[in-house]
Amino acid sequence: MIPLLAVIGVKGRWNFRLWLPLFLVWLLLLPFAPLLLPFLLIAALFIRADAWRGIGAVFSVLCATRGTQVEVATRGHSLLLHIF
Amino acid sequence: MNEHRRQVLDMLARGKISAAAAERLIAALEKAPLATSTASAAGPAPKYLRVMVDAEDIHRGDSLTKVNIRVPLQLLRAGVRLSGLIPSEALEHVNAAFRERGISFDISQLKPENLEELIAQLNDLSVDIDHAKGQVRVKVFCE
Repeated sequence: MIPLLAVIGVKGRWNFRLWLPLFLVWLLLLPFAPLLLPFLLIAALFIRADAWRGIGAVFSVLCATRGTQVEVATRGHSLLLHIF
Repeated sequence: MNEHRRQVLDMLARGKISAAAAERLIAALEKAPLATSTASAAGPAPKYLRVMVDAEDIHRGDSLTKVNIRVPLQLLRAGVRLSGLIPSEALEHVNAAFRERGISFDISQLKPENLEELIAQLNDLSVDIDHAKGQVRVKVFCE
């Protein structure tokens, strides 16, 4: 399943926590997918790669990012990234 | 009677192996399912690779930097599948670059089935690095 939500948090000079509804991003990008597809197929022909396998692999990488957590904290500063 | 045992007995009947060799092979086959069952009883398969770094200032005694990263192992699998799309010419360049750096690794041999074996072994992985002078602790483990 594709990531639906990402949280980016920053503490330091600016303190904020950003909740990014990724599902909205996918919904917005969906209408552009059929437009991008011919370009991808042409590019795949040029590099002699299997376009469908490529799309599948990129999609699986995207789906696999769910559950990623990155937290870095130094004295007075911190950054976090959670993908749900 | 399973297939492997039948093959061993078949080889013995044809005279390809001795009776002692057949006995050893059958004994090894009997041990194999036992090892598999103990591995599965060890717990659920790990889902994430966790890397934790904790660096402290030895003079001030407070924590300087903390890093906590959790990477889904599924991302490794997907990455290997993605590497399968690299054109053969590019693979040769990558292998040449590895050789230049003294790493004898053939990236074309990186297959999803090999990765599964690696992930299975990661279940028992735990790396602890404790650096006394700079008070740096690194922990790498699967969960």
